Amino acid sequence: MSKDYKDNLPISASGFMDEFMRLKRGSVSRRHFLGITGLGLATAVMTRFPGALSTPAYAAEDLGTQMSIATWPNYHDPATFENFTAATGVAVEVNVFGSNEEMLAKLQAGASGWSLFVPTNYTISTYQKLGLIDELDMSKVPNFSSTTQNTRFTSEGQIDGKTFAVPKNWGTTGFAVNTDKLKTPLKSWKDFFEIAQTEADGRAMVHDYQLTTIGSALVSLGYGFNSIDAGELAKAEELLIKVKPHLYAINSDYQPSMRSTDAWMTMCWTNDGAQLNRDMPEIAYILGTDGGEIWTDFYAIPKDAPNKAAGYALLNYLMDPTNAVKEHIANGAPATDSRVIELLPKEITSNKIVYPDEASLTPLEFGAAVTLTDPARAELMARFKSA
Amino acid sequence: MATSPETKKRLVTAALLAPASLWLFVFLVLPFIAIVVFAFGERAPEGGYQPSFTLEQFANLGARAAAFKNTLLLAPVGAFLCLVVAYPVAYYLAVKASPRYRLVLVSLVVVPFWTSLLVRVYAWMYILGARGIPHLLEMIGIENVRLLNTPGAVLLGIVYGYLPLMIMPIYVSLEKLDRRLLEASADLGAKPLSTFFGITLPLSLPGVMTGVALVTILLLGEYLIPQLLGGGKVFFIGNALVDLFLQSRNWPFGSAIAVTLVVVVVFILLIAMRIAWRFAGTRQVDLV
Amino acid sequence: MRALITAVYLFLYAPIALVVLFSFNSGRSASEFVGFSTQWYAKALSNTFLMDALQNSLVIAFTSAVLAAVFGTMAALGMERLGGRMRAVFDGLFAAAIVVPGVVIGIATLVALVQVFGFLNPLLAAAWPGEQPPKLSLGFGSIIAAHGLFSMALVTMIVKARIASLGRDIVEASNDLYATPLTTFREIVLPQIMPSILAGFLLAFTFSFDDFIIAFFVAGSNTTLPIYVFASIRRGVTPEINAIATMVLVASLCMILIARFLMREKKTNN
Repeated sequence: MSKDYKDNLPISASGFMDEFMRLKRGSVSRRHFLGITGLGLATAVMTRFPGALSTPAYAAEDLGTQMSIATWPNYHDPATFENFTAATGVAVEVNVFGSNEEMLAKLQAGASGWSLFVPTNYTISTYQKLGLIDELDMSKVPNFSSTTQNTRFTSEGQIDGKTFAVPKNWGTTGFAVNTDKLKTPLKSWKDFFEIAQTEADGRAMVHDYQLTTIGSALVSLGYGFNSIDAGELAKAEELLIKVKPHLYAINSDYQPSMRSTDAWMTMCWTNDGAQLNRDMPEIAYILGTDGGEIWTDFYAIPKDAPNKAAGYALLNYLMDPTNAVKEHIANGAPATDSRVIELLPKEITSNKIVYPDEASLTPLEFGAAVTLTDPARAELMARFKSA
Repeated sequence: MATSPETKKRLVTAALLAPASLWLFVFLVLPFIAIVVFAFGERAPEGGYQPSFTLEQFANLGARAAAFKNTLLLAPVGAFLCLVVAYPVAYYLAVKASPRYRLVLVSLVVVPFWTSLLVRVYAWMYILGARGIPHLLEMIGIENVRLLNTPGAVLLGIVYGYLPLMIMPIYVSLEKLDRRLLEASADLGAKPLSTFFGITLPLSLPGVMTGVALVTILLLGEYLIPQLLGGGKVFFIGNALVDLFLQSRNWPFGSAIAVTLVVVVVFILLIAMRIAWRFAGTRQVDLV
Repeated sequence: MRALITAVYLFLYAPIALVVLFSFNSGRSASEFVGFSTQWYAKALSNTFLMDALQNSLVIAFTSAVLAAVFGTMAALGMERLGGRMRAVFDGLFAAAIVVPGVVIGIATLVALVQVFGFLNPLLAAAWPGEQPPKLSLGFGSIIAAHGLFSMALVTMIVKARIASLGRDIVEASNDLYATPLTTFREIVLPQIMPSILAGFLLAFTFSFDDFIIAFFVAGSNTTLPIYVFASIRRGVTPEINAIATMVLVASLCMILIARFLMREKKTNN
């Protein structure tokens, strides 16, 4: 079928790209380009075979020459963006953030300049409520397959039956420990905060945002990860302020410090844990037996995105399982899409950091929308930092 | 219709001052009014600002007491350390250096300003990090030294960043010093030390005052150096401010802190001017 | 004494030397020297985002410095003609523009502009005859304006000090010789205050080019070089940043040398 379809095209795929790049360089007029490639016909064909050939599908629109994406530290294979640029002529600027709060603040202030960004599950309903994101036009993301998604991780992208965000990957928030430096075995968040004040004095890091830093402190005290109970939060604040003088840093980008061994222990996301452990086997990734976070990151497009066409193009590119699997291998964050899991090499699917046992996931909780917007937690975090 | 010379003169004056006045109004007075208004408002449920009239934000200032204390302690200490390092350099440049090399040496003090402060501070992150000095110390058997993300690292960054700003005014005031005075003092049998304390130091005081006040005031609003060399732990009021706008999205409380910071700066400036006038015995000290 | 001075210069230049050294690193990291290479210079020059940021920074620094030099000088001249209370008001405003911390200027400008735009944009949309009404937003204009505020105050202070030190007699002599005020200004006053204006311009340019905190708040979706570098520090610095910093350093050193050379030429000509 796809062979027939290619025969129908008036120009071959590689010829198409040549012409396309010439158009990008400005050496042919748009009309010439459309004439030669017969895009009118191609577009008609495309709509009949959605996702048949992903690259030219978005060449039909003017993608401009650049776009920017807001995402997390160490979260992508740099080659992904280079390949996307080579395929489309759109250069991608990667902006890295340390917290969802920071992304939200930037969007609330207006003019973020992003055409795609990576919010975490518990933030999407707030973005939708504040009118900062639009419903996704799924016809522009033909590579996304809703039937192969693991719904445990993906439901929060839908609001009232409309899709506002599609999943990037899921993961957990545990902690990473340099076992060369720290000999005491750690199992729980209770251990984490204890060791941070003793054996790891001056060498432990916590995230620079409230959800996991306060959440993990709550968990270590036996409370719920998402608690907004004033009494419980006061206890958590007491613990955090007691620990603070012993910390190495409050920073969500802990890989450089862990790699240089300035820091010996840190709150850590799955993907960073997998990357650190791959390069430095002495760094272990541990899920708290007393609880912690399980999360899904999504892709969404801001309402005021300056280059929506390129945003959709990159999103569709990233949803292509052959591209997603390369990202997965590079960054080590588990997939929500079974098409991607099928393509993974065995050493990744059997990696217990990336795909932990179900039993170790049981105590973990998803972050809640109310936790993000609760003013008491926001202020607690700010007080902790400025204490 | 003839205009009188007096009217014409006024029109010219007004025309000369019009662009600056407009600018000062739109980008200084108006923003200041805005944050004062915001400071009496409330945080919207999802963050940001919603109109209200409450003193809650100012009542809550105590929650940032630690950051204010940090700033009010580290800014003068930083300025003092700058002075300790800068004075001998300025003295050498103005009095001891041979005239042939003086200009080159003075230019070399200014050149670092032409490389991005951010990039230079990043270089310090490397020097103080585990791969830098601690690594060298390990080679001679001193293990597990931690330098980065400490108050010491922040002070070092401050001295590094603001040293040229301290050297220049002191150098300028020392350079104006009449060298014949020093010679006369020596001829009259004064020891070098008493010449220094009797003549050089008092005459350079205006420069010292300018430098100390300038650096202290700039430090009160510092953000980058504590952020990069303090690991988010050594907090200046500038960091608390940025945090309130970029993380907890509490614009009214942030505005209240900004207003308070301005008041503190003006207050310290007035005190500094008083002290400067008394020490220098003149009102000719330029602080700004 | 010598040893101390040498130590201070080492302290000032060691980090710069390190920046330059790592710009020639063949590895990806700005903290582990692997081998010599100039590849990062090529990469930096072909990185459109880095080049855009550099270009933005140059345009913003130049525009704000020019505006500051012109308006600041005008203000200094105007203030000379003012008396008493009005003069004190302007003195106070300019002093405030200099001493209010950058972080407060950035935040206050952001807060004010977001409100003003929120008020003006619907009006503009209603009044606009065409299909696509222009939408005011943060960007070049707001950075130039916020930088220009500080710079203009700086220029005014410097030029005012120079005017104060000028003898009034020369101006009066010129007037006595029936020169028009404009001629007196052009022939007598301007040449005398020109060095101060230039010094103010250079300071303004340097300030704007290196400012992070004000631009961080009012840049909207635009990127300046310091904003790009700050973002890179979080994303993991590659020697690209070192390469661009080295190029900026060399360019400014060249400018200083050229300026010195021109000044020497002028001296020998006289």
